[in-house]
Amino acid sequence: MSDMPISDVPRRDPRTEWILRNRLHPQHDELVAASSGPVRGPSGLLRKNPRAVGYIGPNGLKRIDRSAGFSGGAGGVSFRSRGRSGQAEVELPLHTVEQPDFYVAVVVDLAAGRLSGHDKDVLGQAHQLVNATEGEGAVLAIALGEAREAAFGKAGADRLIHLTDVQGEPLDGYCPERKLAVLEAVECEFEPRYWLFPDSVHGGADLGSRLAARLGERPAVQAWQVDTERTVCRGGSQLTDWHRPTARVMLLAAECALPIDETRHEAKPLELTVIPPVTPRIEDLGPVDVDPSKIALSEAEFILAAGNGVRDWDQFHAVATTLGATEGASRVAVDDGNMPRFRQVGATGTWVTARVYVAVGISGAIQHLQGIGQCDKVVAINLDDGCDMIKRADLSVIGNSQGILGELLNLAESRQNGTGADTADLAIDTREEERHVA
Amino acid sequence: MWPDPNLKVATLVSVGQHPKSGRARRAEQDARAVELGLKMAGTRSRLVNVGAGDETGLRQYLGMGLPELMQVKAGTEADAVPALVEHLKTHPTDIVLTGIRAEQGEASGMVPYLLGEQLGWPVVSRIADIQKIEDGKADVLQALPRGQRRLLRVPLPFIATVDNAAPEARQYAYGPARRGQLAETNGTAIVDEARLEWQETPAKPRPKRLNVVKAKSAADRFKAATAKPQGQGGQVIRDGTDREKAEAIMELLISEGVVR
Amino acid sequence: MLLDWLLPTLLIAALALLAIGAIRRINLWRAGQPEAVKLIAGLMAMPRRYLVDLHHVVERDKVMSNTHVATAGGFVLSMLLIIPVYLFGLESRWLTIPLLIATAAMFTGAIFVYRRRRNPPARLSKGPWMRLPKNLLAFSGSFFLLTLLTSGLLPENFLGVWGGWVLTAILLVGIASGLSELLFGMGWGGPMKHAFAGALHLAFHRRPERFGGGRSTGLKPVNLDGALGVAEPKDFKWNQLLGFDACVQCGRCEAVCPAFAAGQPLNPKKLIQDMVVGLAGGTDANYAGSPYPGTEVGKAHGNPHQPIVDGLVNADTLWSCTTCRACVEECPMMIEHVDAIVDMRRHITLERGETPNKGAEVLDNLIATDNPGGYDPGSRMNWAADLDLPLMADKQEAEVLFWVSDGCFDMRSQRILRAFVSILKAANVDFAVLGNEECDSGDVARRLGDDATFQSLAKHNIATLSQYRFKRIVTTDPHAFHVINNEYGDFGGHYEVLHHSTFINELVEQGRIQLDRFKGGTVTYHDPCYLGRYNGEYESPRALLKALGIEVSEMERSGYRSRCCGGGGGAPITDIPGEHRIADMRVDDARQVDAETIAVACQQCTAMLEGVVEPRPEIRDLAELVADGLVVEAAEPGPAKTRPAVEEVH
Repeated sequence: MSDMPISDVPRRDPRTEWILRNRLHPQHDELVAASSGPVRGPSGLLRKNPRAVGYIGPNGLKRIDRSAGFSGGAGGVSFRSRGRSGQAEVELPLHTVEQPDFYVAVVVDLAAGRLSGHDKDVLGQAHQLVNATEGEGAVLAIALGEAREAAFGKAGADRLIHLTDVQGEPLDGYCPERKLAVLEAVECEFEPRYWLFPDSVHGGADLGSRLAARLGERPAVQAWQVDTERTVCRGGSQLTDWHRPTARVMLLAAECALPIDETRHEAKPLELTVIPPVTPRIEDLGPVDVDPSKIALSEAEFILAAGNGVRDWDQFHAVATTLGATEGASRVAVDDGNMPRFRQVGATGTWVTARVYVAVGISGAIQHLQGIGQCDKVVAINLDDGCDMIKRADLSVIGNSQGILGELLNLAESRQNGTGADTADLAIDTREEERHVA
Repeated sequence: MWPDPNLKVATLVSVGQHPKSGRARRAEQDARAVELGLKMAGTRSRLVNVGAGDETGLRQYLGMGLPELMQVKAGTEADAVPALVEHLKTHPTDIVLTGIRAEQGEASGMVPYLLGEQLGWPVVSRIADIQKIEDGKADVLQALPRGQRRLLRVPLPFIATVDNAAPEARQYAYGPARRGQLAETNGTAIVDEARLEWQETPAKPRPKRLNVVKAKSAADRFKAATAKPQGQGGQVIRDGTDREKAEAIMELLISEGVVR
Repeated sequence: MLLDWLLPTLLIAALALLAIGAIRRINLWRAGQPEAVKLIAGLMAMPRRYLVDLHHVVERDKVMSNTHVATAGGFVLSMLLIIPVYLFGLESRWLTIPLLIATAAMFTGAIFVYRRRRNPPARLSKGPWMRLPKNLLAFSGSFFLLTLLTSGLLPENFLGVWGGWVLTAILLVGIASGLSELLFGMGWGGPMKHAFAGALHLAFHRRPERFGGGRSTGLKPVNLDGALGVAEPKDFKWNQLLGFDACVQCGRCEAVCPAFAAGQPLNPKKLIQDMVVGLAGGTDANYAGSPYPGTEVGKAHGNPHQPIVDGLVNADTLWSCTTCRACVEECPMMIEHVDAIVDMRRHITLERGETPNKGAEVLDNLIATDNPGGYDPGSRMNWAADLDLPLMADKQEAEVLFWVSDGCFDMRSQRILRAFVSILKAANVDFAVLGNEECDSGDVARRLGDDATFQSLAKHNIATLSQYRFKRIVTTDPHAFHVINNEYGDFGGHYEVLHHSTFINELVEQGRIQLDRFKGGTVTYHDPCYLGRYNGEYESPRALLKALGIEVSEMERSGYRSRCCGGGGGAPITDIPGEHRIADMRVDDARQVDAETIAVACQQCTAMLEGVVEPRPEIRDLAELVADGLVVEAAEPGPAKTRPAVEEVH
């Protein structure tokens, strides 16, 4: 665990200990309060844990140091525990709304069953609107479809309507007509003051536009600065801003507001009494298998790119297939006929926006580096540790690409089989970590 | 099977603008819609534009090889929807294609939804392709993020917005653009009153969200202040076996979520 | 004697057939579009063009040149004498002796032609061309003997009766075959067609400026209200069709074509022959030269009214050309291959909208942003943010207008631009740039066939330039140099344009900059096509290198024979696959002379040659080499200026 941050290593702080022992020290009260101060309970009240005194001595007995609070080795232990696990488990104060005067509805995308950053931003925006409006309002999150690890309360939902099916029909896949029926029912029953949607490709923009058209409301689209009076929306091609009165239906841009991170919310479930029946005309025939190698380079999120340093092309293709990566290439690899031209990455090829870009044997000509400028994480596999690609990369491994790709292939294959050695390794790793913490 | 001469495809096109220069041009998504229309109905597919659009921009659509573009004349401040509803009611249409959002003006992307609502036609968003049409129903391939696709079946007539994942629009050529006809008709021109009150300004750059550290202790604050900023040269692994190197890469791939 | 009546009959028949064939051929050319030429002046100038200009080119191969002088000169002279002697029966030693000399000369020449044909190099076409030397020998030999026999120079009954008959028979065969090849074949598409078409081609050449030591390399503008480019053979100008017919299939173009050498599907000779098939109708089955690499011969067919692309020629063939003009430079018949290729490209781009690969995107960008990369047109000066360059808009007047070109968006080219700016500053040149007012010169758009975009860019630039006063334009980009210098004139833009190599050389000669000696290893110089062949500037770059103390170790192909880097004519954009890369071949040329540095004078060449996988020689622009060698006198001029002031105080 050599990578453990310095602050997590148990260390004695002789000066603190000395101050804690010395009741006459001007900072004594302050430090005692800081190290054994009260915590906020689940209901938001301050609680003092009467048992949180003392420490376990070397022979297993609890020792209470009457010199006030902590000293000696115990001080170190508790210091560390605060640094590591204590902080993560801080209970945020619960924000409750007993009888809401009005609702602000947020229809979350719930892409892949999780609340996205965009969803959380919109919930944050909803609270800003609630706070700026007179009367007590509640943020009503509407989640349609299966949810996995969706901490609605933590993200800021005071009330929650979570449906996984309507009239026995599941709400997964593409069913905007059914979802629209739910939203209409919400409109009838709760008449939200505002309807907020993430303006996203995960369905938010589509559903929001449908609702706006159905309700006859003119939505604010790509809104990125919203208060109760005025809204600023991005216009076409991101070249203009439209300043307009705040609308009732809003499709919010990502990062329109900060997500909730200082309070917890009830996420109290609400029931809809009536949902009018719908007969959808759009039929979802399900996802189509897409071969990662067929995905256009500019769209791909994970690219494995080959350059001059690749010798074993069959192996390279095998790794790309097993990892599910889209193949890319440097100009040289294309010119040499090893890869088709449409796979070329760079200023003279395709500009890519992948989240992870693995460059195998690519030294990084300026044109190539320009083309990967928008990639989040770049991994370089190269023999030459002085090449420009390594300067750009977030992770570089120096070595023969054939060997490393071979091992990568093994790892990926064993991962796919599920019982691979590496997963076990990782599991051991985490357990070890727990032990260190404990 | 394509192009189908009996299929009536109308593509709604608007004048776009280049994101860097702001110069008028064919809008990229609209042009992809035109391309899809060309694939399905050949040069018999119709082009419809509402407004007093810039001629060079519109002629670029004609340059894709279509003989005519129907321009429903309405002022720059007019609402396009009533004019389009009128047009679509008087011209039999099976499929209406258009881009997701305009490249100029408000770009709310509402036109297809308002048309769908007023005509009572289903709206399919972000399509990449139309695969076949059988028994009055179309199999439509919808584009999902990161290259994924979903198959939908929609009855005709319907409205579809065309995603950037649809096949790229063909090049426009000077000759056909010059020869193509801009047929003008007068349509219902209702001035978009609400928008007249809005102000349009050049886009203000949005601040990049910083990774705000709500530090609870001095140590945290210190750590946040001195942490190595990202992108300043990454980790370099020189030593170790190939296995260890591969594991390091695999770890990154897993933590980034690209390998599941 | 039998020959007394048979020979004139044969002659008349051959001449009549020649005349019919010639009229037919002329009508084929007339299917082309009208183009005004000076008929009489052209014909008058033709002998000089043939004897001087054409022979300048042919003379690059001394043996062939002499062979041709003997054969062709002998043939022309003997024909001029045969007609009075054998057709009109004039008997005079003043005619027969010269005829003997002429036929003897022709015979000698024909022997050399024959010898070359015994083991012909790959670039030569075979087929009918293989029988030509035999017929040349037959013609000259027969008429020599005949003249010798009938001239009375030999004793009576030299051969006896039987011998006479045998000889007569042999002579008849020889004369008949010679006449049919040389006269009949000339009018009806045989190898000798080149003499007839070639002579007229020289007389009515579309670029008469090329003769008499001139240079004409700018492309001709398209009338945007008329036909856009060439779709069918009949869309060529009539004298272009005539030019195609002048081809002798010597294959010199093929031997120098970089695309052919790289295995891309282009062979300039075959292309011209395909155009001949197109203008005359038929197929290329009779073509007996090298094919387009990777393409089978015999499948192409066409006629004057059939589209050329996909039928006669594949579009890939047209897009393989780098417009390096090596073929035009080498062509002894002065055929304009590049004009024809660009004409056909114009149709593909302007009418069909089928510019391959990145072509459409580049043209789109040029239309929308005035630069091929689609960058913000307002960011043209970002590269010079720290250089404080004077803007024309502020100064209104400057001695030198520095044309920055699109290199401003490319990180590698920016190094060249910065080097050049440091030279300008060191020499205290009064200069200014257009900044964001500058647009792409239009070079790429034009070579990609989009003359509409070229013309709008050119007109825009000309309008911008007309607002300011300056003496000359200097640019580091030979493509912009060529376009502004040679192609803006058609739109009313006439300027004195200099390439930076010329300009820097001037500065050195005037002593405005001092240069240190270059301390690197062996240096070779790569002539950019658009500087050398297009504009004839071979000397300044070399003089400049000499001023740096560099002795250029010349590559085998340098100067007017320089091999292209592969970057011209939009070739990197259309990117037609071949077996090799042109840039690799060029770097191999440099490796052969053990160059450690390749000096270049073009940012496109820099980009192409640096694209070659290392290890390879270092690629440095002249401006960079000079900037490195600048003797900075910043410290000296300062005291020099202040010293007098100090003295005054004393």
